[in-house]
Amino acid sequence: MKPRRILALADKEVRHVMRDVRTLYLALAMPLLMLLLFGFGVSFDLEHLPVAVVDLDQSTVSRTLRRRLLADDVFDDAGLYASGAEAERALVEGKAAMVVVIERDLARHLARGEHAEVQLLVDGSDNSSATQARARGELAVRAILASSTRELRIAPAIELRTITRFNPSGKSAVFLVPGISAYVLAMVAVLLTALTVSREWERGSMAQLFATPVTRAEIVLGKLLPYLLLGLLAVLLVIAAGGWVFDVPFRGSAPTLCLLSLLFLIGMLGLGLLISVVARNQMVATQLATMSSMLPSLLLSGFVFPIDNMPTALQWLSRAVPARYYVSGLRGVLLRGNGLGELWPEALMLGAFGLVMLALSTARFPRTIA
Amino acid sequence: MNTLGMLWAVVLKELRQTVRDRRMMALLVAAPLVQLVLFGSAVQLDVDHVPTAVLDADRSADSREHARRLASDGTLRLVRTPSSDDAALRMLETGEAATALFFPRDFARDHARHVRPRVQMVLDGSDPNRANVAANAVAAHLRTAGKVDVPSRVLFNPGLSTSIYMVPGVAGMLLLLITTVVSSMGLARERERGTLEQIQVTPLPGLLLIVGKIIPFALIGLLDFALAMAVGAYGFDMPLRGSFTLMLGATLLYLTNTLGAGLLIASLSASQQQAFMGGFLFMLPAALLSGIMTPVRSMPSWLSPLTAINPLRHYAEILRAVLLRGASASELAVQLGALAVLGVALCALAGVAFRNQQG
Repeated sequence: MKPRRILALADKEVRHVMRDVRTLYLALAMPLLMLLLFGFGVSFDLEHLPVAVVDLDQSTVSRTLRRRLLADDVFDDAGLYASGAEAERALVEGKAAMVVVIERDLARHLARGEHAEVQLLVDGSDNSSATQARARGELAVRAILASSTRELRIAPAIELRTITRFNPSGKSAVFLVPGISAYVLAMVAVLLTALTVSREWERGSMAQLFATPVTRAEIVLGKLLPYLLLGLLAVLLVIAAGGWVFDVPFRGSAPTLCLLSLLFLIGMLGLGLLISVVARNQMVATQLATMSSMLPSLLLSGFVFPIDNMPTALQWLSRAVPARYYVSGLRGVLLRGNGLGELWPEALMLGAFGLVMLALSTARFPRTIA
Repeated sequence: MNTLGMLWAVVLKELRQTVRDRRMMALLVAAPLVQLVLFGSAVQLDVDHVPTAVLDADRSADSREHARRLASDGTLRLVRTPSSDDAALRMLETGEAATALFFPRDFARDHARHVRPRVQMVLDGSDPNRANVAANAVAAHLRTAGKVDVPSRVLFNPGLSTSIYMVPGVAGMLLLLITTVVSSMGLARERERGTLEQIQVTPLPGLLLIVGKIIPFALIGLLDFALAMAVGAYGFDMPLRGSFTLMLGATLLYLTNTLGAGLLIASLSASQQQAFMGGFLFMLPAALLSGIMTPVRSMPSWLSPLTAINPLRHYAEILRAVLLRGASASELAVQLGALAVLGVALCALAGVAFRNQQG
C-alpha cells in the first residue's frame, strides 16, 4: 500500500466533487436543511389539544374547572356539549381529541367530602397525544379541584422535591438535536459513497481504474478520505447550527466529540462503499442505502423512540446499529458533559463497526470487471 | 391501434421489465414489508422502565416498602443501588440511571410522627418526556390525591397500541416512496440511457408513453398498500371500522398526487442522482410534517399552516379516521377535497414541466 497512490486517488475524488457542486449540496446543505426541518417539525410537546367539555353539573365549581383547564396553551376549547353521546360524536369527527365529562353532582360530592368523579374520554387513534393527554388531563383536573375547593386542600403526607439536571427547561429540541445530527450524518455519509461509486460502475470508469496498478485497499482508502473530510465538516456545521438555532449546549470535551464523529463517519462511509460495491447501480444502491442506514438510524438508534421500550429482539438488533452508539455519545458530550472516561464503550463499538465495514468492502471489491 | 391498446402495450412492457429485475422487485415488495414491521413494533411512544437508582439512607421497612411499590407499577425500573450520593449522581452522568431517589435518614420515624419527611428526586432532563413521566409517577405515588376519581377511557384504540397508530401513516409513506421516488428515478434512468428518445420516435404520443410508464408503479404501490393493510390487520390487529370503498377511493386520489409529484421531479431532473435528491427533498418534509410520527399541533405556529399543502398529511388523517374511528366521507370532506385540489395542481404542473422539457 503506497500513500502516494492513495493521495492521488483522493485528489481525483476531490476534483470530481469540486466539479460537481451537487455533491457539495448533498454533503453540506442537506444536513443543515434536515436539521432545521427535524428540529422544528419533530416535537412531542403537548400543545393546543382540542378538548370538549360535557358539564352535567353546571355549578361554580364545574365552570371554574372548565375555565382553568382551558386557560393555558396545552388544552384548547373545542366546545361545550350537552351529553356524552354528542361529545363522542365530536371525537369521531376529529373535532376534539379529548372529552372531559363532569358528573352531575360534582360540587355537592366535593362539599360533603364524598367521592367525586370527572371522566376523561381520549381519542386513541392519535396515539402520540393520547398518552400524554390522559396523564396531563388527570393531573390538571386534580390540581384545579384541589386548589379551588377548600375541602380538598389536604397537605400531602410526604414532601417531594425534584431537581432536573442537564436540561432543566425541558425542551424537546435540546434532547432531539443530538439524535437528529446523528441521523442526518448517517444518511448523508452512506449516500455520499453509495451514489458516487455506483455511478462510477454505471459509467464504466471503474474499469479504467482496474487497469492501473492500484490495490483494492488503496481504492477504498482513496475513495474514503475526501468524504471523511467532507463529513467532518458537515458534523461541525450541524453541531454549530444546533447550538445557534436550538440552544443546544456543548458541555463535554471537543476531542472526544471529534474522535466519535471520525469513527462513526468511517463506519457509515464504509457501509456506503460496501453498498455500491454490491449494488453497482444507482437505483438499487439508493434503496439499499435507505434500508440499511436511514431506517435503523431512525428507528433503532434511540433518537426519537427509546430503546428500553422495544421488544427484546429489536433491542438486540439495535446493538448492531452504529447510530445508536453515536447518538448516546453525542448526548453524553453535548448535554451531560461526558468525556472519553464515560464514553469509551461507545468509541470502541464505533471503531469496531468501522473496521468491519472497511474490511468487508475491501474484500468484496472485485479486482476484475467480469 | 387505438389509444387504450397502445397504453396497454406500454404498461405490459414496463411491467415485464420491472418484474424481470429480481433485485428491484425484492426491494419494491420486501423492503416495504420490513419497514412496516419495524415501524409497527419498534416505535413505543409510552414511557416505562425508566432506570432508577434509589439511595435509601434510612434502611427501614417503611422506606424499603415505598421503593418497592414505586418500582412495581412498571414506570420505574430499579437499577444498581449506589453506595453514596456522589455515586448516584455519577450514575446519572453515565446514563446508567435516569432518575435518582433519595430517602432521608429519619424517613420512617418522621413519617410515623407526621413530620412530613422530604424525599428528594434528581432527574436527567435530557429526555424531557421521560423526565416528566417519571416525576409524575413518583408524585402520584407519594402525594395522596384526595377524594377525586379521574377515570379515563380511551376510545378507538383502548390498549393505546402504537402499532395500530403507526401502520396507516407508514402505509402512506411507503406509497409515497414507491410512486414518487422510485418512479421518478425510473424515468430519469431512461433519460440517462437515452432510451426515452428512442421510444419517442415511435408513433406513441408523449404523454401516453409517460402515463404508461407510470401505471406499473401505481400497481406496485397498490400491491404494497394491500400488503401493508394485511400485515396491519393480521400482525397488529388493526381494525377496519369505516368503509373499504372510501379508503380505496382516497388511496386512488392520493396516488394522483404522488405520481404527479414523481413525474414533476423526473421532468425537472437530468440524472438519477438528481431525481433521487428531488424525491428525497419532497419525501422528507412530507413525512416529517404529516403528523405520522409527531402531532401537527406540536409544531411551531408558523410551520403548521404549511402542512395544509402536504398530501401525505391529508391521506394519513383519512386512513386513520376510516380505519380506527370509522369516519364517513362527509366527515372527511375537507381532507378529500384537499387531496383532489392538490392532485389536479401537481398533475397540471407535471404536464407543463414535461411539455417544456420536450420542447
